[in-house]
Formats: sequence, structure tokens, C-alpha cells
Amino acid sequence: MARAARNPGLAAWVWVPIAALAVFELVAHSTIEAAIPSDASWEAAAAFVRARHRPADRIAGAPAWVDPIVRQRLGDLLSLRMAAPPDSAGIDRLWELSIRGARSRDEPPALEQEFDGVHVRMWTLLGDELVYDFAEEIAGAKVELVGADRSEVCPLMAARQMPGGLERGPMTPRERFVCDPRRPWLWVGATVLSDLDLEPRRCIWQHPAGRDPVRVTFTEVPLGDRLLVHGGIDYQIERRRNHGPVTLRVWINERIAAELLHEDGDGWASLEIDTSELLGQTATVRFETTADDPTARLFCWSASSVRNRGSSRGRDE
Amino acid sequence: MNDARALNRRDHLVGAALSIGYLLLLLGTASDLAMSRDESFYVHAAKNAADWISQIFVDPSNALAQQSIDRAWRYNWEHPAWMKLSFAWSWLAQKHLGLFPNESLAFRFPGMLSGALLLWLIYAWGASVMRREGALFAALAFASMPRVFYHSHLACFDIPIAFFVTLTAYAYWRSLADRRWLPCLGLSFGLALATKHNSWILPGIFLIHFLWIRSGQVRSGRSERASIAWLPAMLILGPLVLIGTWPWLWHDTGRRLLAYASFHLRHVHYTYEFLGISYFEPPLPISVPVVMTLFTVSLTVLALCLVGLYTRRAELRIPWLTEPRASDGRRTEVLWVGCLLAPLLVIALPSSPIFGGTKHWITAYPFLALFAGVGLVALIERAEISSWLGRRWPTWAFAALCLLPGAVETAQSHPFGLSHYTPIAGGVPGAADLGMNRQFWGFTTGSLIDWIAAKLPDGGSVWTCDTTHGSWAMMQRDGLIPSNIRAEASMSAADLVLVHHEAHFVEVDYQAWVAFESAKPVYVLRYAGVPIISVYENPARAVP
Repeated sequence: MARAARNPGLAAWVWVPIAALAVFELVAHSTIEAAIPSDASWEAAAAFVRARHRPADRIAGAPAWVDPIVRQRLGDLLSLRMAAPPDSAGIDRLWELSIRGARSRDEPPALEQEFDGVHVRMWTLLGDELVYDFAEEIAGAKVELVGADRSEVCPLMAARQMPGGLERGPMTPRERFVCDPRRPWLWVGATVLSDLDLEPRRCIWQHPAGRDPVRVTFTEVPLGDRLLVHGGIDYQIERRRNHGPVTLRVWINERIAAELLHEDGDGWASLEIDTSELLGQTATVRFETTADDPTARLFCWSASSVRNRGSSRGRDE
Repeated sequence: MNDARALNRRDHLVGAALSIGYLLLLLGTASDLAMSRDESFYVHAAKNAADWISQIFVDPSNALAQQSIDRAWRYNWEHPAWMKLSFAWSWLAQKHLGLFPNESLAFRFPGMLSGALLLWLIYAWGASVMRREGALFAALAFASMPRVFYHSHLACFDIPIAFFVTLTAYAYWRSLADRRWLPCLGLSFGLALATKHNSWILPGIFLIHFLWIRSGQVRSGRSERASIAWLPAMLILGPLVLIGTWPWLWHDTGRRLLAYASFHLRHVHYTYEFLGISYFEPPLPISVPVVMTLFTVSLTVLALCLVGLYTRRAELRIPWLTEPRASDGRRTEVLWVGCLLAPLLVIALPSSPIFGGTKHWITAYPFLALFAGVGLVALIERAEISSWLGRRWPTWAFAALCLLPGAVETAQSHPFGLSHYTPIAGGVPGAADLGMNRQFWGFTTGSLIDWIAAKLPDGGSVWTCDTTHGSWAMMQRDGLIPSNIRAEASMSAADLVLVHHEAHFVEVDYQAWVAFESAKPVYVLRYAGVPIISVYENPARAVP
């Protein structure tokens, strides 16, 4: 009756977009759920990679948050260096298991396969050849705490590991060089650092003791054409940006080759030392850390003796 | 909106039904949730309080001596006592009467009861000022917010403070028209103060609201003016209740009150991941509470809230910019807007300590839900939905459709409430892409207990990461974890290591790699395809 003559206007129809919004939410929810890859998809993708995997292959997830799922299925194929690469040396190929359209490299992959929501891509990298990884050889090194008058050798021993947990810094390895039991942080050994970008870095923990250096010496190191050196400080400390710098000096055959001055905020800093003159030879390589104030300098470094595949091929020819 | 409709018996029956229904739902789903980190602290504090209560009955003079009070109340002195006393009484009831099927439920019951009563209160306030469909919608919309549902299970203070803040606002609103509500206002404000410090902002909100209505009354030339008697009622009774219920303040009162205030004004910052950045010191982006609300509350409910605000916009105009009217009343909308916005603004302030979790502004959500109810009523009335077919079911169908997304999200979110994100964020995987906080408090271990029990049939040890040993012990007392599977303090000595995935927890992941010389988790607990917990197995003690 009267209602027929009434003109309710646009306001009378606002319920329609609201109802549509509710329907959209329900449909979107179902769509999101349906797009989640099944265990079978992950298993099939992992089996595909496992069948083609070679020792110098790195495997990663994309987006990065799926990495634990990838490592659950293929983690046994990853060394700690491959899981926490300090640099790109020694990685021949990169396998990526990705979902949701994520990808870590723009260039076309050498191989690509889809497993019902899990996308496998493989890129051939053929970067530098890894000649010597200092972190893997740390057990053979000599570690000293250098004093004004004399140096004290830090023995390699099996020691109790730290309990672990948030803001505890990198895990102490079971075997490590212990320089001073009264200063539990004064040890040297291979661990994994969480760098300023929260990336994992396989590296050698070498907390400076002060102005007198903590020294690590490697003998008979086969040299390539370069030494790739990186260093960083534990994320939980470096992010505060309120401590002094750390100096890492690199000596080759008793000559200082380079110095990395790491300041808070530098993150996973790098330097490259040209060793092409010593290519193919062995050398004694020494790493010394110092800091004017060693407080909370949770410093960890990595070094890789590498050879450019192109240059090595040229020499072989 | 009405100025205030009297509630009838049927209204209270609806409110009671909402409460009881929600309480039963919470009771039935609580065992899926491991005790969260903070709960384990409050349980410890509640047990101290229970011992002290027991001592009062046995040896009252000694119990009231400072030494006894300090011994019982020093632990967790930074939080007032009301809810801890409630947990303690509930636990004592459990000890003596065995009311609950397990111990954790005894501690959680008072929090659940607060959540249940809050639905009644939302309905009651809504039904006082709008059509009952809107009030019912508001209560259900609040109940079916995924994070509200999660927090309603806990022996914590967040849902209780949401209840007491809403109750105080309701009592204040009632007291403006009826002074008999003043004692109730003072008492409820006192209980809010005695529950959590979110209550500190209430007098400020009320004062702004009061000046608003007084200004309107002055301009309209009305002789009848709202009384400010509410303020002394709050400021006198409130602190009395706070101090009276908190034995810690019975000695050295001034210094301890100052220490309490100082603790929260200079609160430690929680690391919080938001849009791909882990914030560990202020300022958090001011958008945090808004974006987190957008990403965790049903979009339909949010849209209805905006519709509600829009339809009441005339009532929200600043008094000195509008024509005076005779029927200004209590400006309920202004009060609700104040209670809705103030908690969000406090967190958004650049000087506020970093919190991040929605629980810190959860006191805003009852008012968000009420405005959604207003919006729903406005749409129903303007569209005359009920008139189309001459029946009421289209109205209810529309309301049900609007509630459905929240209900579905909540059902799916359990028992991962803090990890849940709505479709506007792209769901849980979308939020992971965006770099949103994945979880906190270590409560997701509750979703792993069957797997752990199966993995360690002959017992063993677990490094529990963000799950406290108190939480673990509670799961054992509840019978969820066999007693021969103990929490281990040292990662490398544990049979299994748990890593709760949060951005800044990756260092713990890397620690496990070094401890076990492997980056391969033996199991990854996922929610909506997103890793929640990685489990590493000690190779030296590998269990087949």
C-alpha cells in the first residue's frame, strides 16, 4: 500500500554489498583453504628433487616461510653450509620448492615441474669453486689468546653446550676451542649465526677478548684465486647498534692481507682478498679479532678459498 | 537508538542463554590449548594466593603480617590481584570439591566466566538502546571473533578486563540517569583497576563524554544537567577496591603503587613482527591496531560497524558545532566511540611500549560489536527486509549470513587463534607472506602433544622453546602429556627440540641445527599450510 509509493533510495540497498561481503569472505576463506598444497604434493616434489640431487646442490623454499617444510623432507641432503650459506661458493645448482607463485630468481630455470601447487625449479649457478671452507676445517686450526707477553693456546675440547633459547646467541658446538673457562663466551668454533637480516650464516665464532687478539691459524690452506671473507654480529645484539666495532685481520703467510672493520649495522659484511698470485699453492692463513671494548661482541666470521670456474678452466686449457 | 529501554525477563533469558552457551563451548574446547606463557605465570601466582587464603583460615594473624603477605604476593607483583584471587578460589574449589575435569580448567574458569558474562552485558546494553536483533548480533559478533574466542579460554586478564571495562562503562552510562548506579560504578571501576591497567584510561574517556553531554545541555538551555557524581564515585571507590583486593598494597602502599604504575609506563618491549619488520623498540607504526583489527576481525562485522558509525554520525557531532536539541540524552554513541577508539589510540601512540597483540586493545571490541549491531539494525530498517515477505526470517537470515564468516573463521582458527588471519590478509598463508606475527606465548605446543606422546612411547625429554616449564607441567597434570616425558632445560640434552616459528625466533632454529648438526626437522606442525612449530630430534637418542 503506502510502501509501494515510498522511495527508499540507495540506503535501502546497502545490505546488498554487505551480504556480498559476507559471501566474499566465505568464498575467499574456502579458496585460500583449497589452495594449500597437500602433504602428497610436498612429498612428490621432494621425491623429484631427491632423485636428481647432487652434493653441490642447495635446496630452498619460496617464500622463505616454507623453508621448514622443505627441510623436513630434504634436510638430510643439506650440510650446515648449504642450509646456512655464508657465501655462494661451492653451490652448483639451486633447487627451489615454491608455492603461491613465489620465486627467488627472475631468470628462467634450467628445469621446472609442478606438483599440484608445489612448484619445483632448478637453476644452474656454477659460481666459484669452493677450494677450502675454513669453518669445516676449524678442528685442525691452532687457536691462541694473544697477550702482551705471551700467547696462550686454547685447547680443543668437548665441552658442555649452552642450553639454547631466545637471546642466547649462536649455539656452542660440542667440540670447540675453549680459551678461558671463566669467560664462557671466549671460545672458537663453527656455529650458525643469525645475522642482522635474520639469515643463517655458517661461520666461526671468534668473540674478541679486547685489544689483544684472539688468533686462529690454519696451515696448509689450499688457495684459489680469491679468499671470500664475511663477518657479522648476532642479530639480537647488532640490532641495538650500541656497541663498538670489531676488527678482523686476515694474514696470509705472515703478511697482513686485509682487515674487516665491522660496525653495528653493517650486517653480514664482506671483503674479498685477491690470492691469484698464490693460486694452486698452500699457505698459512691467520684470523685475528680485536675490539677496544669486547662487551657483547658476538662476532662470527666465515672464509672460503675459492677459484673462479672460468679462470680455472682457462688455466687448465 | 533509544536513550535507555528497560530490559525485561526475556532479555535476561537471552543474555543468560548466550553466557551459558559460550561457557559450555569454551569449557569443551579448552583442552586443545596448551597453557600459554603468561597463564603459567598467573597460575603460579594464583597458587601462592591460594596458599595465603588457606593460611587466613588457619592462622589469620600471621597471614596478615607483612612477611606472609610479601611471601605470597611478591611473585607477579606487577599485576593486580582480582583475577589471580579468582583463579585461586577456583583452584581451591577444585582441590576441595573436584568441580572440574582437570586442573587447568579450574584456573581458566574465571576467565571463561568473564567472557561469557561479557556476552550477556553486550546483549543487555545493546537491547537497552537498539532493536534486540542488533543486540543479539553484537554479542554473537563479539563471541565469534577468532582472537576473542582464543583469549576467552585463558587464565589471563584480557577478557576479564574487557568485561570490567564494558561493565564500568555501562554502570557509568546508567549512573548518568540514575544515581543508584553510582556504587555499582565505583565497584566495577575498582574491579577493573584490580584486573588490569587498561582501566586507567576510563575516567578520561568518561570525562570527555561527560563534557560533551554537558556542553550539549548547556547549549540547549536545559535546566536538568547531568551530575558529575560519577567521578568521585569512581575515584574514591575504585582505588579502595584496588587496594582492598590486593594484599601486596596493604604495606608500603605508596611506594608499591608507584612501582606498579612505573612498571607499566616503562614496560619492557615485546619483539613484534608487523608487515615484514620485527619491531623491538618504539615506535610501532600507528597503523598496527587498525591493520591488526582489519586482519583479524571479520570484514563483514567491520563493515557493519562502519555502517553503524555512519548512521549515528549526527549524534557524534561536536556539541558546539551543532544546533542544540532538546533530546540530546546521554550521547551513548559518543561514549561507545570513546571506548572503541581510546584503546587503539593508546597502543598507536609512538611513546607506548611495544605490545602488538590484539589482546592489548581487546577492550575496544565489545563496542566495535555494538556498533556492528547498530549497523545491522540500520540496514534492516532501511531495507525493510522483514516486510518483503511479511515474515521475520529474512532479517534473521541476513544477520546469520553476516555472522557466518566470523563463525567459520573462529571454528577454523581453533586451536591456533593467535596464528589466525582473515581473508582480507590472504588468510594464514597471506599473513605469512606479508610478514605478520605468527604466534606468541608458546601455546601451540598443545597441538603437538599427541605427536610427541607417540614419538616418545617410553618417555624422554623435550626442549620446549617458548612453552614454559610451568605450562608443560600443567599439561602433565591434566593428563595430556605422559609424566615420563619431561621438559628439558638444555637443547642438546633433549630428545626432541621444539622451535616456535616467529621471525625473531629463527636464532633458536639455528641453535637446534648446531646442537644436532642437522637442519632437518623431524616434524613440522602446520596451520593452514604455514609452519607453526618445527621439531628436531636428537640424533644421539633417535627414536625409531
